[in-house]
Amino acid sequence: MAEKPIWEQIGSGFVQHYYQQFDTDRVKLADLYTDASCLTWEGEGFQGKNAIMTKLSSLPFQTIQHSITAQDHHPTPDSCVMSMVMGQLKADQDQVMGFQQVFLLKNVDNKWVCTNDMFRLALHNFGA
Amino acid sequence: MAEKPMWEQIGSGFVQHYYQQFDTDRVKLSELYTDASCLTWEGEGFQGKSAIMTKLSSLPFQTIQHIITAQDHHPTPDSCVMSMVMGQLKADQDQVMGFQQVFLLKNVDNKWVCTNDMFRLALHNFGA
Repeated sequence: MAEKPIWEQIGSGFVQHYYQQFDTDRVKLADLYTDASCLTWEGEGFQGKNAIMTKLSSLPFQTIQHSITAQDHHPTPDSCVMSMVMGQLKADQDQVMGFQQVFLLKNVDNKWVCTNDMFRLALHNFGA
Repeated sequence: MAEKPMWEQIGSGFVQHYYQQFDTDRVKLSELYTDASCLTWEGEGFQGKSAIMTKLSSLPFQTIQHIITAQDHHPTPDSCVMSMVMGQLKADQDQVMGFQQVFLLKNVDNKWVCTNDMFRLALHNFGA
């Protein structure tokens, strides 16, 4: 079987690392962001590593577990990698919820960092 | 109230136009892609405007309706706009289904085109 394209290796490697880190010790996610990174978390924007880490560290759960349903990865025209993730998560004893997340990854000084991150819980308007 | 940032205007304008066109006459979506565009549709990849339009035109429904639950837009380091959409859709008389989609938009000759597009229905592994 042919080897996965490089962008898939980079994207899937990042995704695996990100959620593993998030679920065990999310303080260490700081390595993945820079001062130029942007996060939109449930519609709220955070600019730069410090603001992003303050938000992620302050999320109000003791335990969290992500389960990835699907992921897609693309190379972008400007040599970045864009990754879309669909999954489910369980925080503490709450019910399982669907989520979606998108990462834009850029190679900075030989390291793949996340310049753009968007996260949303899958909550729809079920009215009519 | 302050005006929306430029990238939000570009992203939300694109999103509105895309789904309106998709739901009424999706053949016209070809204007939004170039020969360098990539689409991943439910995990299957399509490269370039022709392949993308062949896929979109051949989708097996008579009528389709998208409803946007949420959308987020970011400027990227390389002056692109990244847009993440969460919504629901109804094809023909099928049941309503959730979906997620991501677009990467680039300004080419003064026109915003979609260089990267990823679409997935929100279907999770409900086992255990």
